Amino acid sequence: MATNTIHGNNESAQPNNIASSKQPLPPAKTVDSQSVLRRLQSELMALMMSGDSGISAFPEEDNIFFWKGTITGSKDTVFEGTEYKLSLSFPNDYPFKPPKVKFETTCFHPNVDVHGNICLDILQDKWSSAYDVRTILISIQSLLGEPNISSPLNPQAAQLWSNQEEYRKMVEKLYKSGN
Amino acid sequence: MEEPNSCFFNPAILDSLSEDSLHEIIGSYNGFCDATQSLLTGNGDLSVGPDFVSHVHALCKHRLHSLVQDHFLRVLEETFERNGASRFWRHFDPYSHVAGLNKNDDLDIDEDEIQNVLYNALEEVTLEKQYQEKCLLMLVHGLQSYQDQMLEDKHDFEGERNYLTSKYQWIVSSVLMATLPRHFPVILHWYFKRKLEELSTIMDEEFCDDASQNKDGMDLDEKGKVCNKVGEMDVDECYNDHRFSENSRLVKNIGKVVLDLRNLGFTSMAEDAYASAIFLLLKAKVNDVAGDDYRSSVLQSIKSWIQAVPLQFLHALLVYLGDVVSYESTSSGLKSPLAPQPSSCCPGINTPSEGLVRWKLRLEYFAYETLQDLRIAKLFEIIVDYPESSPAIEDLKLCLEYTGQHSKLVESFISALRYRLLTAGASTNDILHQYVSTIKALRTIDPAGVFLEAVGEPIRDYLRGRRDTIKCIVTMLTDGTGGNSSSSGNPGDSLLEELNRDEEIQENAGVDDDFNSDDRQAWTNAMRWQPDPVEADPLKGSRNQRKVDILGMIVGIIGSKDQLVHEYRTMLAEKLLNKSDYDIDSEIRTLELLKIHFGESSLQKCEIMLNDLIGSKRTNSIIKATINQLPQTSTEVGDSAISMDVISATIISSNFWPPIQDEPLNLPEPVDQLLSDYAKRFSEIKTPRKLQWKKSLGTIKLELQFQDREMQFTVAPVHACIIMKFQDQPSWTAKDLAAAIGIPADALNRRINFWISKGIITESQGENSSDHVYTIVENMAETSKNGASAGTQELLGGDEEEDRSVASVENQLLKEMTVYEKFIMGMLTNFGSMALDRIHNTLKMFCIADPPYDKSLQQLQSFLSGLVSEEKLELRDGMYFLKK
Repeated sequence: MATNTIHGNNESAQPNNIASSKQPLPPAKTVDSQSVLRRLQSELMALMMSGDSGISAFPEEDNIFFWKGTITGSKDTVFEGTEYKLSLSFPNDYPFKPPKVKFETTCFHPNVDVHGNICLDILQDKWSSAYDVRTILISIQSLLGEPNISSPLNPQAAQLWSNQEEYRKMVEKLYKSGN
Repeated sequence: MEEPNSCFFNPAILDSLSEDSLHEIIGSYNGFCDATQSLLTGNGDLSVGPDFVSHVHALCKHRLHSLVQDHFLRVLEETFERNGASRFWRHFDPYSHVAGLNKNDDLDIDEDEIQNVLYNALEEVTLEKQYQEKCLLMLVHGLQSYQDQMLEDKHDFEGERNYLTSKYQWIVSSVLMATLPRHFPVILHWYFKRKLEELSTIMDEEFCDDASQNKDGMDLDEKGKVCNKVGEMDVDECYNDHRFSENSRLVKNIGKVVLDLRNLGFTSMAEDAYASAIFLLLKAKVNDVAGDDYRSSVLQSIKSWIQAVPLQFLHALLVYLGDVVSYESTSSGLKSPLAPQPSSCCPGINTPSEGLVRWKLRLEYFAYETLQDLRIAKLFEIIVDYPESSPAIEDLKLCLEYTGQHSKLVESFISALRYRLLTAGASTNDILHQYVSTIKALRTIDPAGVFLEAVGEPIRDYLRGRRDTIKCIVTMLTDGTGGNSSSSGNPGDSLLEELNRDEEIQENAGVDDDFNSDDRQAWTNAMRWQPDPVEADPLKGSRNQRKVDILGMIVGIIGSKDQLVHEYRTMLAEKLLNKSDYDIDSEIRTLELLKIHFGESSLQKCEIMLNDLIGSKRTNSIIKATINQLPQTSTEVGDSAISMDVISATIISSNFWPPIQDEPLNLPEPVDQLLSDYAKRFSEIKTPRKLQWKKSLGTIKLELQFQDREMQFTVAPVHACIIMKFQDQPSWTAKDLAAAIGIPADALNRRINFWISKGIITESQGENSSDHVYTIVENMAETSKNGASAGTQELLGGDEEEDRSVASVENQLLKEMTVYEKFIMGMLTNFGSMALDRIHNTLKMFCIADPPYDKSLQQLQSFLSGLVSEEKLELRDGMYFLKK
């Protein structure tokens, strides 16, 4: 038994053709609205295609710097069955600065104040340009189930956290009145 | 006439009457009544004549003219009713059962008998009538002679006679009409039908004889005869020709019947009867001649036949009835505007009589209409046979020009299409083929494409609903020269020809939007302008936009040429990747043709693909040349090494190719080595480019040597990999083999079926029930009973979908659509509800994937309604919601 005569197909990226369209771009500035736009667009694409359940976000009407986000409470947490609207506002020098993220729906949570401000390290000092919308949303979603009790923005919630049953009732009550 | 004055009752006159004169009046009145009675009832006995006349005189003396006339006419009427009419009808009593029959049914009666009955009845009633007319004349004479005696003011004798005769005529027909039995018209109709059939058989024989001669000559001959007959009033002289002796007798018979009937006041009934008989005959003739044969034109022969048979007959009849005379003098003035040039009927000589021209027009119109109906009903078959059936199309065109019933064609054809073509059972190829034939055929009938527009619409709509439409169209467009479209017959050729033809047209005519189109061209176009047919829909723009262009109409199905180009690119890629040589001449030619039609820029990617092939050929030979110069280090590895000569690569610029389906595959070591050597060589020559192998693509020629046989195959790499594994080890479990080759177990199961079907590998149940064991069959004799002796050359195995090297357009489209779906879901999650417009705009703004969102609002709407029907979305008040 012998094999013979291979006729294969292969592929070579022909750099000339592609490079010609990419080369003329000006060297990247620190704040380049064009690249911010492209970054946000690709983040949107990645987020849409990721199909993560329970998190979602989309730019508002005509401004890609302002997004609306949606997070649903994870299963087996006191937030199960609830849905929270968020607003994400991206700075012009994103991703070097974190976006401002706020809860639009009232959220009874130790790390969320009554105005919806969130205390989350990666949105402040621990921000890295490696994070993106998707990781932010996932972090916030997991923050709902695992609050940082030590530095609460909402002390009442922090106190109540130990009593999960009561907490659940509180969440439901506020969620209903909020909607 | 002054008689009516005496009808008024004038008492003064009564008073002036003396006893004597009263007696005289009563006496002569009684005498008159008796005489009248005996005159009319007496069988031809005119002996009471003088007596009758004297009584008339006596009464007239007392100015009782009107009394005389009224009484006489009344008695005449009674007598005719008793003797004439009732006897006349009695003749037909035995046939009363035919009244309910349809006119087209054959009567179950003895032909000669009914004919004789009709003749006898007519004769008898005519005799009776003639006798009565004689009596009437006697009365007129009596009145006349009295007035002569009195030498009173001159009475118009002629006028009085006419008055009485017409009054009598009126009496006769009213009596007959009042007593008309229902079956009489049927009998008449039947009679004329019979006679005409007889006549047409005779004429047909002549006609056939003539037809064998020069046709034009015959026409002239016949027309000459018609004219002769018109010219000379003596009918009999025209009939000297022995050929007419037989039919002249027949025509005379018929003429006599018609004349008799006219005398009885049945003019219109007789005319109806023979007209309907002629039309029936004509219809039968058209059906007979036209039939189901679409390969010859029948219109001319039908026209000749009309000229030869029914018109001859009608002419003879009219001449016999003497109608011709009255018409002839006025014919030129009264000519119907519809009449064609008079010369067409009777060139050069006298114009035919008006009556005949009218008949000719009627008959021709009827023939056109009948033929048209016949053809329209069978239009579907005719178009299936196109272009063999083009004579029938030509006929239909002429008929429609005459009748103008285009809308009938459109309606009937559309319903035929719906029933017969646009069904799930018809293959897309057939539908397209029929569509192309329809375009070509209807282009003949209607160069402006107005009806084509209407007829094509349902086909286009239907085809848009079929998934493989684009693929079929592209195959039709491009596969003409390839000759490998075996299943679809030859529709491909026609479209490629069209592509070629179009090239010429475009060269000649120039493109409309081309700024270079010179003034002369514009002038020629302007000169050729014709108004739209009246049936054109004014809303659909002028015919400039409706130019009948097959390619345009085909592309119209798809919607945009981009989609067509896209599909073509995919198919081209598939074709090029499956090529085992670099011969792309036919592809280059097709591409050039497409470029002419669809523009250079849209086909740029395809051109790059073809250039890749050309480049590959060059690169390949360079690489091989350099390798052969170098010392062959690889030969030291042993017999497992393979010479570089056996490999030839297709090097593609993947950015310009459609997405390539690639599966991971572990190639056998020596082959892998060879490929990386090749790649190394490539990057040496073409720095900084690097070669990435698509290992699962390509074709491999294999020669398998067994203990007892040798076999050759041309297979896909994965098949080669599988079989090569058996080189080291005669049997493998499925799991191990899949791992060794690097493909999933289920894929292996599918692929290995190829070898199993060839009888080279057998499958058996392993120790582990979930695992199969594959064993190579070394000795064919052992398994010859399974009969799977493979041919020496086999094409690529496996099912088609599996072996495609390029992702199909459908799959690409599906992929695009899933992207859109995710975006739509994303935006609805965050915004709750959105209207169609806003979704559309948002997608346009943010969905800048590859390819960017480029759908129309309508496409988006249909996509969304798809999602609604999948219960992913909800639509309320024009807003879309997520379905929860």
